[in-house]
Amino acid sequence: MNRPPTWMFIKIQGEHRGFRLWLPLFLLLPLALVVLIILSPIILIGVIILWPSGMGERALFVLPAAFGVFCSLRGLRIDIQNRRQSVYISVV
Amino acid sequence: MNESRKKILEMLAEKKISVDDAYRLLSVIDSTEGGRESTSKEGSAVKSKPKYLRVTVLPDPEHEHSQNVDRVNVRVPMSLIRAGIKLTSLIPSEARDKVNGALREKGIDFDMRNIKPEDIEELIGALSDLEVDVVSAKGEKVKVFVE
Repeated sequence: MNRPPTWMFIKIQGEHRGFRLWLPLFLLLPLALVVLIILSPIILIGVIILWPSGMGERALFVLPAAFGVFCSLRGLRIDIQNRRQSVYISVV
Repeated sequence: MNESRKKILEMLAEKKISVDDAYRLLSVIDSTEGGRESTSKEGSAVKSKPKYLRVTVLPDPEHEHSQNVDRVNVRVPMSLIRAGIKLTSLIPSEARDKVNGALREKGIDFDMRNIKPEDIEELIGALSDLEVDVVSAKGEKVKVFVE
């Protein structure tokens, strides 16, 4: 698995206004971990309830899969411009 | 300078061969070495794995309305595509059947259940040969390639 991305840069430029945002993803990760720990009993109950239907197993794998997608975001770059506005998103 | 080139030049200096002959012989050596180099380059390109899928839409400078064209430059990591394909295994069977049905309606007879991890690598490997180059009537130059 790749190393998780550390920063996300978002730049949106309109005709009159625009903004730039450096999002520190490395700070969001510990926060997400804390939320996950707090919610883990609820998640566990949900998984147990869903287990007979076969959805519980899938629900259990969603988190590592989502983390895998998050780690794979490193290197993503989206740059769209027209005459009036531009959107730039970069994950590093 | 390799031995063959040196020998040709020596023969030319000794007037054993004409300038034309020397030129012809040197070009034969060049073409042989060039071919060898390009083959080794192709070999290394096949070995190196593609890292990004690139999609670019740029205005065609030769087109008169090209200034009104939106510019798009997207770089998607191959690892994200890989992770995305792996996520398909988590799609519930009911939703998967719906997706398969929708694909069939569009004329694509493809079952998502058949995607295996080894197929993903093969698919991504095959993407390294992909190159789409389209110039539209609106003056857009669309390119899809891997790097």
